[in-house]
Amino acid sequence: MKSNLLTLRIKRFNKDKDPPGWIESFHVEIRKGMNLLEALLRIQDEQDGTLAFRYSCRGAVCGSCAMRVNGKDVLACRTHVENLLGKPALIEPLPLFPVIRDLVIDMSTFFDHYRRIEPYFQGKPISSHAEYPMGEEKRKEIDPYINCILCGICFGTCPAFEKHSEFLGPAMLAKAYRFLVDPRDRRNEEILRAVDQQQGVWGCKTVFNCVKVCPKQVPPTHAIVKMRGKILRYRICHLFSQRWPSFHLHKNLNI
Amino acid sequence: MEVLFHDILIIGGGLAGLRAAIEAKKSGRDVAILSKVHPLRSHSVAAQGGINAALGNVPGPAKDTWENHAFDTIKGSDYLADQDAVQVMCREAMERVIDMEHWGTLFSRTEDGKIAQRPFGGAGFPRACYAADRTGHNLLHTLYEQVVGLQIPVYEEWYALSLIVGEGRCVGVLCLHFFEGRVILVQAKAVILATGGYGRIYLRSTNAVINTGSGSFLAYQAGVPLEDMEFVQFHPTSLYGTNILITEGARGEGGYLINAKGERFMERHAPHLMELGPRDIVARGTQTEIDQGRGFEEGYVHLDLRHLGREKIMDRLPGIRQIAMDFAGVDPVLEPIPIQPAQHYSMGGIPTNADGETELPGLFAAGECACVSVHGANRLGGNSLLETLVFGERAGRRAAEQAKEEKGISYKTVFQERLRAFQSGLEGIFEQKVEEPSSLIRDEMRALMTSRVGIFREESGMVAAKEKLQELKKRFLKTGLKQKSLAFNNEFVQHWELEGMLHLAEAIAEGALARKESRGSHFRVDYPKRDDEHWLHHTLAYKTAEGVRLGYKKVSITSYPPKERTY
Repeated sequence: MKSNLLTLRIKRFNKDKDPPGWIESFHVEIRKGMNLLEALLRIQDEQDGTLAFRYSCRGAVCGSCAMRVNGKDVLACRTHVENLLGKPALIEPLPLFPVIRDLVIDMSTFFDHYRRIEPYFQGKPISSHAEYPMGEEKRKEIDPYINCILCGICFGTCPAFEKHSEFLGPAMLAKAYRFLVDPRDRRNEEILRAVDQQQGVWGCKTVFNCVKVCPKQVPPTHAIVKMRGKILRYRICHLFSQRWPSFHLHKNLNI
Repeated sequence: MEVLFHDILIIGGGLAGLRAAIEAKKSGRDVAILSKVHPLRSHSVAAQGGINAALGNVPGPAKDTWENHAFDTIKGSDYLADQDAVQVMCREAMERVIDMEHWGTLFSRTEDGKIAQRPFGGAGFPRACYAADRTGHNLLHTLYEQVVGLQIPVYEEWYALSLIVGEGRCVGVLCLHFFEGRVILVQAKAVILATGGYGRIYLRSTNAVINTGSGSFLAYQAGVPLEDMEFVQFHPTSLYGTNILITEGARGEGGYLINAKGERFMERHAPHLMELGPRDIVARGTQTEIDQGRGFEEGYVHLDLRHLGREKIMDRLPGIRQIAMDFAGVDPVLEPIPIQPAQHYSMGGIPTNADGETELPGLFAAGECACVSVHGANRLGGNSLLETLVFGERAGRRAAEQAKEEKGISYKTVFQERLRAFQSGLEGIFEQKVEEPSSLIRDEMRALMTSRVGIFREESGMVAAKEKLQELKKRFLKTGLKQKSLAFNNEFVQHWELEGMLHLAEAIAEGALARKESRGSHFRVDYPKRDDEHWLHHTLAYKTAEGVRLGYKKVSITSYPPKERTY
């Protein structure tokens, strides 16, 4: 029979301590259906009030509790502890971000990149009393990219971000695509220009790590590949229109 | 003494707070937001089903109007809502929803390309505009994007520990920079509380772990009363085990509630509207089935969506399918979802007028922490998101007008006194020997509130609850802290939030004990009828040294005289 005792080896960090980093083991009695966030909250309540981690919704919609568990980047609230029984589970902060305290990382780079893509809708002119006409088909095309909860997990597994911290990152490129394909947003070229760089779509190694790990099934690599295609078509269009001004290839190229 | 200055400081980064910030910023004021979590982690993000506005986008025999919406809301409130406030909300609903569309919210669409609307409980028309079943996520991200565009500063992961009152007005806030342990004072011409609900006072709640009602307590402690606190909404369908919300939209799309005997039991409780009765009635019906032994042994019933078919579930309810699979191991396409009622929403809160103003000059409130009152004794699904946008916008606008008139007077002495008082209080807490951990007290309070001041209430249980809360308050004084500094001190924050929760729990219990009638969500087994003759008024709870003092105020009835409420 399996024991009900969960062992968590938690990577701790406190810059004011010497040494600042250490691994600490905690044991938690589990109950059926318990998730890792609940286990961490129990430790904070009953064993060590100084253990630091972020949390909020406990329903995998707010994006607070991303962390690395046995080498995999996950949301703690969505991780069943039954799957961690047997041998001690290693809990670490999400990688590639500076650590502030224990499992709390500094996400300022992440949100700086967010701001770099100007992630705010800029609508085409419309009457102030009416919605934009838009079909369900179009909504469904945008929808997968809008489900991003900005938890940071995709950055942690992205080889391009690992190599260059200036790389915009999967979540941000997915967000840029969300505005690009939204027919209500007046921007087109501006968005493509913002991502048409080595730190943008061209830096991606297309290894699909982000697609695999996303807890909300957002497919950033698909967005990146589609934007590359659009950029290339734009360039061709541009070339043609310079040589033969009467050609209106952009219509045929579906940009 | 570290002091920051802003025209307007908004506490809370959920929908109401962000909406207020945008409006105030657009009026040209210097606005900042303070939130204990990053705004995108606010509980608004978890709202699922929809936001009401009488757009009338779904073809039908008659066209929906804002007046229909207002009537449904007032009837749903069991006639305790202030009718003039409800009329404001319903009249402005369309404009606020269209704002969101124009800022990029991806609403689901009708066949002719308009914003789609689904039926919700207690509503005569399909009125809830939705973005699949992630309406809150879509709205919150949209507003946050606008806040980023407007470059409104956000003090993230800071706590507001107390309001600073000088010369009879709210002039600022004493704050804690949690990661650095710095106490910072913010002086503001107007402070807007938008801190959401207090669900975590209850054992079973759909609310996020962060929902401790701290903003309501800030106002209560500053001498502002709390209104109608006994009206606590229990949602009929929370996921058994974790109590994560399963949207009313699941029933709006045609889901059935089924007991262990295989009966669609709402036939007994709301024979006409069935599963789409208002929440108070469906929650009581569900709990009755469980209590009378017609539920499953562990204390739940089934929400069955299988007949809707895979396509409709994937299309309209993808989020709850994911939740059911992730947190209960159940795929709603193949199996019914185990559900039970759980605390969901606070109809009561800080009393405000329709512009978000409280009785303390300079202090505003909007969203769930406020009580305008548009929900009265029971809120209709789809009206909470609406409330955040309508009254967030109005509070932001009014605060900006006031801040423009207000001169920048120095309140240095007031701030120094407040800081000294805080520091001496803190020393007291640090010196206190730890006799028991505060988490024990918190857990006892939660169990108590769910069992004694829950869906069904009666005199003896609530008298016992009142006594128990007194005992918990006494024991609370003997819970100290192991960690004696403020940076990253979770214990300190929990201790401070628990104090507030105990006071809010007391206000709820006292109000509920005093109100000898049943109305909306407040159901007294010993007084099962509504009693308009004696109880058609709002409760006000004041904090005094001796405990809660209750007062009452009139309900504003402008168009719809109270009638019997049947569904």
